[in-house]
Amino acid sequence: MGTSVQVTPLCGVYNENPLSYLISIDGFNFLVDCGWNDHFDTSLLQPLSRVASNIDAVLLSHSDTLHLGALPYAMKQLGLSAPVYATEPVFRLGLLTMYDQYLSRKQVSEFDLFTLDDVDSAFQNVTRLTYSQNHHLSGKGEGIVISPHVAGHLLGGTIWKITKDGEDVIYAVDFNHRKERHLNGTALESFVRPAVLVTDAYNALNTQLPTKQRERAFIDALRRTLEAGGNVLIPVDTSGRVLELLLILEESPLSYPIYFLTYVSSSTIEYVKSFLEWMSDSIAKSFEHTRDNAFLLKHITLLINKNELDNAPAGPKVVLASMASLEAGFSHDIFVEWATDPRNLVLFTERGQFATLARMLQADPPPKAVKVTMSKRVPLVGDELLAYEEEQNRIKEEALKSSIIKEEESKAIRASDNASDPMVIDTGNTNISSEATGSHCGKYRDILIDGFVPPPTSVAPMFPFYENTSDWDDFGEVINPDDYVIKDEDMDQGAMHLGSNLDGKLDEASANLMLDTRPSKVVSNELTVQVKCSLTYMDFEGRADSRAIKSILAHVAPLKLVLVRGSAEATEHLKQHCLKHVCPHVYAPQIEETIDVTSDMCAYKVQLSEKLMSNVLFKK
Amino acid sequence: MASSGPAQSLKRRDPPANREADRLTVTPLGAGNEVGRSCVYMSFKGKTVLFDCGIHPAYSGMAALPYFDEIDPSTIDVLLITHFHLDHAASLPYFLEKTTFKGRVFMTHATKAIYKLLLSDYVKVSKVSVEDMLFDEQDIFRSMDKIEVIDFHQTVEVNGIRFWCYTAGHVLGAAMFMVDIAGVRVLYTGDYSREEDRHLRAAELPQFSPDICIIESTYGVQLHQPRNIREKRFTDVIHSTISQGGRVLIPAFALGRAQELLLILDEYWANHPELHNIPIYYASPLAKKCMAVYQTYINSMNDRIRSQFASSNPFDFKHISPLKSIENFNDVGPSVVMASPSGLQSGLSRQLFDRWCSDKKNACVIPGYVVEGTLAKTIINEPKEVTLMNGLTAPLNMQVHYISFSAHADFAQTSTFLSELMPPNIVLVHGEANEMGRLKQKLITLFTDRNAKIITPKNCQSVEMYFNSEKMAKTIGRLAEKTPGVGETVSGLLVKKGFTYQIMAPEDLHVFSQLSTANVNQRITIPYTGAFGVISHRLKRIYESVESSTDEELGIPTLRVHDRVTVKLESDKHISLHWASDPISDMVSDSIVALVLNISREIPKVVVESEELKTEEEDDGSSKKAEKIVHALLVSLFGDVKFGEDGKLVINVDGNVAHLDKQSGEVESENEGLKERVKVAFRRIQGAVKPIPLSAS
Repeated sequence: MGTSVQVTPLCGVYNENPLSYLISIDGFNFLVDCGWNDHFDTSLLQPLSRVASNIDAVLLSHSDTLHLGALPYAMKQLGLSAPVYATEPVFRLGLLTMYDQYLSRKQVSEFDLFTLDDVDSAFQNVTRLTYSQNHHLSGKGEGIVISPHVAGHLLGGTIWKITKDGEDVIYAVDFNHRKERHLNGTALESFVRPAVLVTDAYNALNTQLPTKQRERAFIDALRRTLEAGGNVLIPVDTSGRVLELLLILEESPLSYPIYFLTYVSSSTIEYVKSFLEWMSDSIAKSFEHTRDNAFLLKHITLLINKNELDNAPAGPKVVLASMASLEAGFSHDIFVEWATDPRNLVLFTERGQFATLARMLQADPPPKAVKVTMSKRVPLVGDELLAYEEEQNRIKEEALKSSIIKEEESKAIRASDNASDPMVIDTGNTNISSEATGSHCGKYRDILIDGFVPPPTSVAPMFPFYENTSDWDDFGEVINPDDYVIKDEDMDQGAMHLGSNLDGKLDEASANLMLDTRPSKVVSNELTVQVKCSLTYMDFEGRADSRAIKSILAHVAPLKLVLVRGSAEATEHLKQHCLKHVCPHVYAPQIEETIDVTSDMCAYKVQLSEKLMSNVLFKK
Repeated sequence: MASSGPAQSLKRRDPPANREADRLTVTPLGAGNEVGRSCVYMSFKGKTVLFDCGIHPAYSGMAALPYFDEIDPSTIDVLLITHFHLDHAASLPYFLEKTTFKGRVFMTHATKAIYKLLLSDYVKVSKVSVEDMLFDEQDIFRSMDKIEVIDFHQTVEVNGIRFWCYTAGHVLGAAMFMVDIAGVRVLYTGDYSREEDRHLRAAELPQFSPDICIIESTYGVQLHQPRNIREKRFTDVIHSTISQGGRVLIPAFALGRAQELLLILDEYWANHPELHNIPIYYASPLAKKCMAVYQTYINSMNDRIRSQFASSNPFDFKHISPLKSIENFNDVGPSVVMASPSGLQSGLSRQLFDRWCSDKKNACVIPGYVVEGTLAKTIINEPKEVTLMNGLTAPLNMQVHYISFSAHADFAQTSTFLSELMPPNIVLVHGEANEMGRLKQKLITLFTDRNAKIITPKNCQSVEMYFNSEKMAKTIGRLAEKTPGVGETVSGLLVKKGFTYQIMAPEDLHVFSQLSTANVNQRITIPYTGAFGVISHRLKRIYESVESSTDEELGIPTLRVHDRVTVKLESDKHISLHWASDPISDMVSDSIVALVLNISREIPKVVVESEELKTEEEDDGSSKKAEKIVHALLVSLFGDVKFGEDGKLVINVDGNVAHLDKQSGEVESENEGLKERVKVAFRRIQGAVKPIPLSAS
């Protein structure tokens, strides 16, 4: 029999919820994607929490919240401890996305689902792979080979191919067949007849205009608003699709200031600059020929906090700000500010997640007014500050008290020790080079400062004296060769202390925010915003559209097809289409419904004898 | 699809031909018992791979090329370049543009970016005459379009050759290539270093053990000092020289190791404020251009530099200033100058050397491997006098220090690398003959118990190895629904994809492979005015199964020959033939066409006789006739053939007697060889004489 394959969706089927699926191959459980939505709704993770401890490996396909957002939480709270596999950009940009999410949340709420440390530790055990790298799993997964392939959509975006015994299971969600400015199209079409294909139906009902037309419309919309003296807000993700938008804007002839505002914008661009290997052929080529890095942005200003934007010269401008859902982050604040001016434009480039502000605004007709919660983190003042300080002092005092108690205890022990040896005058203070005692000396220094107090048991106090004896042998004084070794001056010292920092660099403001331990609290007030600005949606999601999906699926022609994520209608539509045109085995399981897609193909191996093979003439 | 051809069956009994398919050949076209012009040719199972394409730095013009005339460049499938150094990549534009090569070229991203800069510079500074130029800038530019990039660990398959690369350490973007052809793995290390340094990672240890390891042996049995001691010596020499008012010349190759040395110097200067007034010059036009490359491919470097990069760009040197040419150089007081070329053949490093060599306060630090035949190699031995560029001799008073920073593996690294990898075959390249010989001896004693073969081929000397890989085919689809028992035959289509084989039922072909099946229905119309019965009659004389019927739709008479070909009477003047194309049906239809055309020509002569009578006679006559023919043919083959008792034929060849039963084809003979031959001959004669049996399909 073939390899046994089961697929169990944990989140994101028959709707547009984040993606998270369990694929087990001969008992080895892969968690493919570990997404969360912008609400950080823990109820979505219920199914995951039930299986988290049984998972043997995690595969991440894209660097946005929908594909990896729940990783830190799952690692910390749900007992997920499997090794994680991702491409370098997914790892790096995913990390930045999570930082941005956390920082945006922390500004407006007492966010406690995960901390930056959790993010760091979750991403610490990510094994980074390159495209088309065949990674052989060991141990329980012996015989399984995983390899990431180009998916398009986001930088580093991955189609996972899991191979065992020559049977391929392919997980391909959110792929893009089109070649874009910064990305190549997907490599999905190069796989033919895999045993199982898991794909999404998210775009099964959408059609897109040609890229050129869309880009022209995009620039035109911006120009109209800017020329009329309005501002444009483009709510974007942290480090995904925004890269393509940045390149479009960078190339555009608009002469108005353009700002890219996220908590991690400058480090995003800094890292992206070193990911040229992962980008489209044309970017790589232009770099090889002219050494012009496409992401050396000349027309776009990177900002990491909103004050800088407020200080920018007045006048029409374009601002790309995270989050795309308008639920939190800079885009939320800017929206509230700008929505009331009819000259302004809010341009959505992707469909908002379900039940978010962005989604509400994309409704047709758009709502006249929306209720939003404005929250702000303010430093504590007055009574609150006092109360806080008191609380802190109390905690400190308690800690101090307990440490004093400990110290006294140890002192008592020490005193009794001394008492037993009449000749000792606290060697701890004199023989500093001895480390063991050296560590104690701190505690006793304050006693000694008062004066030379001989221990009560001392008979004849004297300064300690050490005789420097040396051993002699037939050749003279015995020397220790180690004393004469030239100390290797460690030239790395200057730099090494930086090496321990896993995430390298964070923007200063973010660092400030993290280090900012000033007492603060979150103040929120609800208000209704009159939406007078114009709202537009243009599809720059970078996903294959309905027609492309269908033709790709027909080309790939999997033996079995599993459909996940996508509205109920879209899923049903694609299922019916595929049953007719692609293959007879199309499944669209419900959440936590395990479907068995073990291939019913039988196989056995035959050895081909040398005699036969030497007679065989192969023809194409 | 598989079919056995007669051409192959001739070769079958030829043992060398049989081994041909298992033979793997490795031929160094350069870098065999020498350092420079790396180029190693490898061929296995009709697939050909060329590793590296360098020039020899000590020669110029065509003499510097590897021995390309030993091979046919058009047969090479893949060319893999390990890193951008001239001795590994510089003949590439020549090979791509001036030879018949039409395969694919791969190198890593960083290598490709630097390759262009480096070679353009090489073309500009090399002072050979135009005729001697191997290529010009246009060739380099054109070659860029042909070069494809590969990322570390990325697996690429070209024409059944699978390959991927590992980090090699040596310089930025340096790779070791692992090539897998039909399950036989070959590792080509190129230049590699197992020691992590300031900016590069150490070479990786491949996950799989290769069958053959083609490994560099530059440093032979030498051992490197630990890196920090070398760095200390380096900085101490420079520090003491400049504090005595001397000048320091560091002849170094512009890219690669130079960056490492600059990192050391910049850091040392930063830690020693008293040196801040002493200038360090880096004389290379490439320096600035390459910075962008070094900044971009930071992901190929080690974690240390990456974390440093996060705070500030470590390649943005604070104490090092560029120097364009000797004219711009204000030579007053102590200074440190790093200049290319590393061998002091010509250029700025030589100009400075000539100027400084007679002053004993000055020092020359040679920081890497120097190729035989260059001035740098000469001065390491500290001769009393040297010849200057203008032909005069001058005393060599300056101190010469040789502190190797070249990131090549030393003996310790090579031996641990090989003992961890345990390749059964080791081919040494890229090393001076003596060093290589010493390394070979030492490795042999080290690996005596492991039975590893160590080979040191010279240039153009082929190493042949045989790999007999067992071929397994996977039977899938409906053919595999039941597992065959012992002695049963499995028959189906053998499909080869790359080097994997599958056996499947013809009906499953489109399910399991990209191959599609199609039926070609043929139809041919022939003018014919005679009676349809004549055709039917004639066909019956040739074919055993000819059925007459009428077409249901058109109501015209048809003939069906062996259920393969249908003959229809279209009109008074035409008949048509219909058949689904396959070799046998094609042949049958051919014969029918010939027959019909013959009838048309002979028609006046035809006399219709009574059919029954004719058939009887024919049956009788034809069987007699057949017997005669069989006899005659056997005579022509074996000579002495007599009719024996009970209708058997007695064949006598050189005293060996065989009895042949004409009915069953059974042969009795003492001599096995004769028996076989007679049997085969009779079977073939039967096939030629008798009508085609129905079972032929």
